Amino acid sequence: MPAKVSQKKNPKRNPLGKVFAGNIGALAVGLKYFFDPNRITLLYPHEYIKLNKGYRGFIVLIKEKCISCSSCARICPAAAMRMLSVKVYNEKLKKYMIKKYPVINYNRCIFCGLCVDVCPTEALYHVPYHDIVYENMNDMILSLEDFQKEPENIEFKEGIPVKYYFDERRGLVKTPYMEELEKRNEKEEKNQKVEGEGEKGAS
Amino acid sequence: MEAGTASSGSGIHLPGMEIAKASKNRYEVMIGPAHPGSGHMRIFVEVDGDIMVKVDPDIGFVHRTMEKLAEGREWIQNIPLFERIAILDACNITLPYVRAVEKLLGIEAPERARYLRTLLCEINRVASHLYGMGIFGVFLGHSTLYMWAFGDREVFIDLAERLTGARLTHTYPVFGGVRRDIPDDFPEDARKATRYMRKRLNEYAKIFLNNPNIRSRLENVGVLTKNQAAELGLVGPNIRASGIRYDVRLNEPYEAYGDVDFEIPVFEEGDSLARAWARVEEVRQSLNIIDQVVTWLEKHPRENFMHEKFWKTAPKLYKDVYEGKISYSPKYRIKLMPIFASLKVPPGKSFARVEAGRGEIVYYVESNGDIFPYRVRVVSPSFRNVIAFKYVMPGHRLMDLPAIYGSFDYFPPAFDR
Repeated sequence: MPAKVSQKKNPKRNPLGKVFAGNIGALAVGLKYFFDPNRITLLYPHEYIKLNKGYRGFIVLIKEKCISCSSCARICPAAAMRMLSVKVYNEKLKKYMIKKYPVINYNRCIFCGLCVDVCPTEALYHVPYHDIVYENMNDMILSLEDFQKEPENIEFKEGIPVKYYFDERRGLVKTPYMEELEKRNEKEEKNQKVEGEGEKGAS
Repeated sequence: MEAGTASSGSGIHLPGMEIAKASKNRYEVMIGPAHPGSGHMRIFVEVDGDIMVKVDPDIGFVHRTMEKLAEGREWIQNIPLFERIAILDACNITLPYVRAVEKLLGIEAPERARYLRTLLCEINRVASHLYGMGIFGVFLGHSTLYMWAFGDREVFIDLAERLTGARLTHTYPVFGGVRRDIPDDFPEDARKATRYMRKRLNEYAKIFLNNPNIRSRLENVGVLTKNQAAELGLVGPNIRASGIRYDVRLNEPYEAYGDVDFEIPVFEEGDSLARAWARVEEVRQSLNIIDQVVTWLEKHPRENFMHEKFWKTAPKLYKDVYEGKISYSPKYRIKLMPIFASLKVPPGKSFARVEAGRGEIVYYVESNGDIFPYRVRVVSPSFRNVIAFKYVMPGHRLMDLPAIYGSFDYFPPAFDR
């Protein structure tokens, strides 16, 4: 069915007068939220959002899967991804050959994810976080080795992971993501056992 | 009419470059260039005492040469570029470009893709209207609405993030389809969000629109008559508040808008209050559409999300990624064929339009068979709405400027492109 036009008018002023209809109504709503506020504020460095798996964050290369087709570099709208020529020893032919691999410049990347989507062998993937600090701009141009590692997120060490859930009454509700916390605690315990004396995160 | 006299002056009018003769009681006030409420825009206002005599919006502060940049980029690379026109309305803004190129390619998105596009368009429309409402609130000194609207916008941005993977720059519609299907728990989340928002809209009315303080600042302020609105060629909720029945979704249904059941609210008064109410009613209709589309998507099988021409050549890996068989990649992702990286579009001219949050957006695309477009012309809704300031504002007091400005829900980066 196509759309219909519905003729409407500005709601009329309430006959009870300004005071009752407007001011009291507005004050009542204000008071309701004064006692029962709808807070969604994230205390950022102390808490961080544990994003879903589908989030388009930083990009990681799986070198073994790359077939050097350079589709990712060609489709990149910001020219952030470039192909790098690397000498690779080919065991079948027993000689060195030049092979191309993508590298990324995060100064330019806009996280559109077209490179990941266009890759015919799924050699690239997103990690679900994007808040990473680099000390200088040259570090943001990743080398081939760095591009294969998942970047390290500092918040993951200290902050509390938080997830937002949809709620009918409150819109978004912030809840600590316990699974992630437990996982991290287990990891820490293991590390402490291995190292003997636990070095608590001084960073 | 004051409007006529205000616009007619002597000599050439080059905004910002003219030497104005100082008459006795007239002062020039600059609103902008970096306004804390809205961004980079400037309005030259000439006041006689407290009354605005001449208002001249000075456009060009955030001009980014989008149309020229588009000529040096490949077809698909232009989608993320055009998103930057109005980043809070990304799907609506890029959709006509995608549709225009699809016309040149001679393809049409399959049914499920059409519904998915409609879904994101409506989510974006709600988010965009809430943004406008928040700015409107803070312009009138009503910080409560500002906080509420921006907080509630987060609900819809979160929905969009779950659908597309990005909060604002979705790059969601591509030629022949979309880039993702809805996650499994999405319909439930969307229904919760719409139910919440419907309840919230009533509270918005109570604390803002029916609030006598706000009402007396908006009622009969900035009245745009039906004739004037048609003459100036305005678009979007602004003309629907003046009684003109024009909406692209109504006149030329695109995507799935011909199949869903919704109303187009039209108001008669044409004042700032009517424009604000038109947006509230539109959000309500958008929520209805989201509910219907989500129900449709739930009922129908997950197929036909990409045009046959592209999808039939897809290798097995692409189907595995869609079904979530690859451990490190998320489910329901539709991978792009490598042909997208060097797509050649057959020569021709095409034209497409879409109803974006702020009004009709038009793309004219010309191709000469190359990997780049020959010409892309964009006419954005804010560009068509900004002229109204010149004719609506004169005659009002200076304090009415924010009330009129906010009610037009005007977004500076969108007119400059």
